[in-house]
This record gives sequence, structure tokens and C-alpha cells, in this order.
Amino acid sequence: MNQRRQLIVSLTALSLCPWESAIALPSEAMQAMQAIVGKSPVNTGRVYFELPPLVESGNLVAVKFSVDSPMTPTNFVRAIHIISEANPSPNVVSCYFTPLSGKAEASTRIRLADSQRVWALAQMSDGSFWRTSVDTVITLSACTEMV
Amino acid sequence: MSRSSRAVVTMPKTAKKGEVFSIRAIVQHDMESGFRHTEQGERVPRDMIRSFVCTYNGNEVFKADLHSGVASNPLFIFYAKAEQSGNFEFKWQGDNNYLTVVNQAITVA
Repeated sequence: MNQRRQLIVSLTALSLCPWESAIALPSEAMQAMQAIVGKSPVNTGRVYFELPPLVESGNLVAVKFSVDSPMTPTNFVRAIHIISEANPSPNVVSCYFTPLSGKAEASTRIRLADSQRVWALAQMSDGSFWRTSVDTVITLSACTEMV
Repeated sequence: MSRSSRAVVTMPKTAKKGEVFSIRAIVQHDMESGFRHTEQGERVPRDMIRSFVCTYNGNEVFKADLHSGVASNPLFIFYAKAEQSGNFEFKWQGDNNYLTVVNQAITVA
């Protein structure tokens, strides 16, 4: 993307989000992840997270996330959490799986307030955590527009 | 008295034992995040679905905690493993006594 377009995109984002205080900072996203993880270490990888790199409207963003893992009663994926760095609230959605799920995969539709990095954090039944992040550009942001 | 709205669940009516099949569950809801303002500057109160649970013969299959980042008319596509014939229950719960329940039977051969 050239500089002029980048400027237009950032100006649009600024004019649409005048409530700076209502926007979560990256550190808030880290805090939200810390709250889920506790003292355990977090590894990078294993989680497959599909999010479009360029989104026209942040009001409806289709996402898909999965972990390639067996789903047996002793070894399964317990949960996948989606954490946003620039939404008014960092937690987006938490999905919990069981061995009855057969497959640790889900799709849903989320809102994104700004161009940002979105995290998918997976919790395994053995207590380990894995995460992946995806960067995306939003041309029309959600959450803070007038009604 | 609880509030409810239209929900549609798409899943197979029959399945083979051990088969993993997809379930698509969508419900009509504005998911008002509580972060929006009117032109007069008043904050629009939060009114959201907070949780979605799918159970299979009483056992949990899939559960989701919905926060303000979930888009309106929340859709979930997830999977379940066919074990025995029975009933799937889908339950959405939220603010202001919101409750919607859908039941769907499945025959496992």
C-alpha cells in the first residue's frame, strides 16, 4: 500500500474513532491473555487462525480457527480464545470444546474497531497454551460509530 | 418472562456412529455492545447474548462466551461426533432475561 492510501486509511480510522480512551491498548490484550493463561508459559504456533488481511467493514468479519489435535478424553483442545488489540474490550469470543466435538474447529463472525493484530489463544487439556496472531487492515471500523 | 428471538440450526438428521459432522447455529440478535453513542451523545446500554451452549443427550459438546466483539446475529459453525441417537439442545442466554432454546433430534445408525 502506498503512503497516500495509508494516510487516508489512518485518517478515516481517526475520524471514526474519536473516543481514544475507549480503545484497548496492545498491553490490555496482553493482560487479557495473562488473565486466561495465569502463570503457564505460552508457546507460539499450532493454532490455525483465518482472518481476512483486508476487511471492508469491521462490523462483520468472518473468522475461522482450529487446532490440529486428536479429540480423545485424555488429549483434546479445551478452548480457543480470540483476543483483539484495538477493540474497546480485548476479549472477543471464547469457544470451549470437548472430546464430543470431534474436531477443534469453529467459525464465527466478529467486530473489529480498527486495523490491528488479532490473537487466537488455544488451551490444551494438558494445560499448555499456544497462540497465533494475524494482522488485518479495516477500512470501515465497528463499535464506536453513531447510532 | 424471558425474551427470545428466531434461531436456526442446520445439522444432519442422520449420521453414522463415529462420524464428525458440522453444525451451523445462527440467532437473530442486535448484540448492542454498550460502546456506541447516539447523536445526542448518550451511551446506548449494553444488550448482548452472553453465552451459547450445545449439549448432546445432556453432555456438553461446544460452548462459547460471547463478548462485545461478536457481530450481530451471532453465527457459530462447529463440529460434533455422532455417538448414539438422541437430542441436541442449543441454548443462547443473555442480558435482560434473554433466552432462546432449540432442540434437534438425530438418528445414529
